[in-house]
Amino acid sequence: MMDRAEKTGLGLAVAGHVVLFGLLSVGFLATPNPVKLKQQPMDVSLVKDVGLEATAPQSVTPPAQSIAPEQGEPEDAAPPAAEPLPRVEPEPRPAPPPPEPTPPQPAVRQKPAPAPKPAPVPPKPQPKPPAAAKPSPPKPEAQPRQTAAAAAARSRALDAAMKGIGESAEAKTAKPRGSRLGNDFLKGLSSEPSKSTSTVARAAKIDGKAMASIIQAIARQIQPCADRQVNPGPGANQIVTTLNLRLNEDGTLAATPRMVRQTGVDDDNGRYAQRVVDLGVAAFKGCSPLKLPAEYYSTPSGGWNNINFQWKLK
Amino acid sequence: MNPVFNMDAATLSPVALFLQADIVVKIVMGGLLLASVWTWALIFAFWRRLGKTRREMRRFENDFWKAEDIDAFYKREGDAALPSARVFAAGVREWRRSTAGGTIDKDGTRERLATTMAAASAEEVDTLSDKLNILATVGSVAPFVGLFGTVWGIMRSFTGIAAAQNSSLAVVAPGIAEALFATAIGLFAAIPAVIAYNRFSHGVNRIEAALNRFADGFHTTLSRQLDSSR
Repeated sequence: MMDRAEKTGLGLAVAGHVVLFGLLSVGFLATPNPVKLKQQPMDVSLVKDVGLEATAPQSVTPPAQSIAPEQGEPEDAAPPAAEPLPRVEPEPRPAPPPPEPTPPQPAVRQKPAPAPKPAPVPPKPQPKPPAAAKPSPPKPEAQPRQTAAAAAARSRALDAAMKGIGESAEAKTAKPRGSRLGNDFLKGLSSEPSKSTSTVARAAKIDGKAMASIIQAIARQIQPCADRQVNPGPGANQIVTTLNLRLNEDGTLAATPRMVRQTGVDDDNGRYAQRVVDLGVAAFKGCSPLKLPAEYYSTPSGGWNNINFQWKLK
Repeated sequence: MNPVFNMDAATLSPVALFLQADIVVKIVMGGLLLASVWTWALIFAFWRRLGKTRREMRRFENDFWKAEDIDAFYKREGDAALPSARVFAAGVREWRRSTAGGTIDKDGTRERLATTMAAASAEEVDTLSDKLNILATVGSVAPFVGLFGTVWGIMRSFTGIAAAQNSSLAVVAPGIAEALFATAIGLFAAIPAVIAYNRFSHGVNRIEAALNRFADGFHTTLSRQLDSSR
């Protein structure tokens, strides 16, 4: 079947294959440094609250302008119009008190008075009219006074306006200045920085660093109570529970810590899940009040009044 | 494990890859390895046989054309295990058989000589090119067999992902590496087989052409002898 040449060839081929595979097996062509290719395990903690930025700077109102916003006629027309207003206001102020002694009520009573026209008993309405008459005289007086004062004010304002118009017309023709600045262009300005009308609190920024330090402070302060909690069973320390804390400003608990979510629960330690939550709540109840920086109690970007804490048994 | 062999998965160790593989992939790998060994055995055998045959045929033909007496040459070289010698011997035997009787049919003798030598030449070529088809088969089929092992191994790796419920590369990589090793062995066997098949079929063709030229030349010589004899 096989001649001599084939037998020789077979021997050579087997020897060659054995040599080749032997060389490959002892690492002849091995990857130069497989140790470097091995994955190094790395702990990754997902911190949700890092990166919160303050929203305060966005709502700062700009300071007052140095240029009067209007130009030309309104500058001159406005001051005269402003003058009559203070004069009108003081007068109506005393006027309202007279109406206060309830003039409408007598008016209501007066209405029944005309009603008893068919009434056969005249003496009874008689005492009433005097009582009604007493408040009634002030009412007609007050009303005329008010209307008179209003009319006077109106006419004055009208006069002033007319005068103002005349003045503005005069001003227009009299002084054609090139400047855009009015006489009161410095009205809103002072040497001090203008007051911001922003409603945002001054220390509004709570960044990831501050948040992390608050979390650290909480962890440190509940540590004595956490150490006292007994591990309920094997695998229970794998469970990470996120507890939501509602805190008062003095550091006491405003409500019982509530479980937000749990991770690390598997078939083995599933029966300890609720127990781990209870132990965490017990630790917080035992070691509150917490002492935390007051400026971070409540800011627009979060604070420790409502904070999530990752609870884990040792 | 064996301290000599590097069994680390990160190294390219064929033994480790083979031992970690599935049974189907193991069978594929083993078969391909045997095919590779057999291919190389045939390559060595053909290389030696064709080279030797060509060398000796050249020497034999030179001796033949130089020889004065064909009968004496036949006595000396007639039973050599050489294609040319066998064709020559077949021609001489037919010549003797055809010229043994009283009357000689020249055309019939020429035809019989040609047929006998062509048949001897074809038989020698058949003998030479025997097992060349194994090279062709290995060259064309081994990649597919390797690919089958790879597909099977990768399917098994993905089943492993489903079982472990973990798709990290560390779970998949060893299985895919050992599956790809099947294709590697398939190509390792097929590439030399294809190259050797082309090379040796060309060599066999050249020997066949040389054999036919020698047969034609010998036939011409015998035909001339036939004409000049009577």
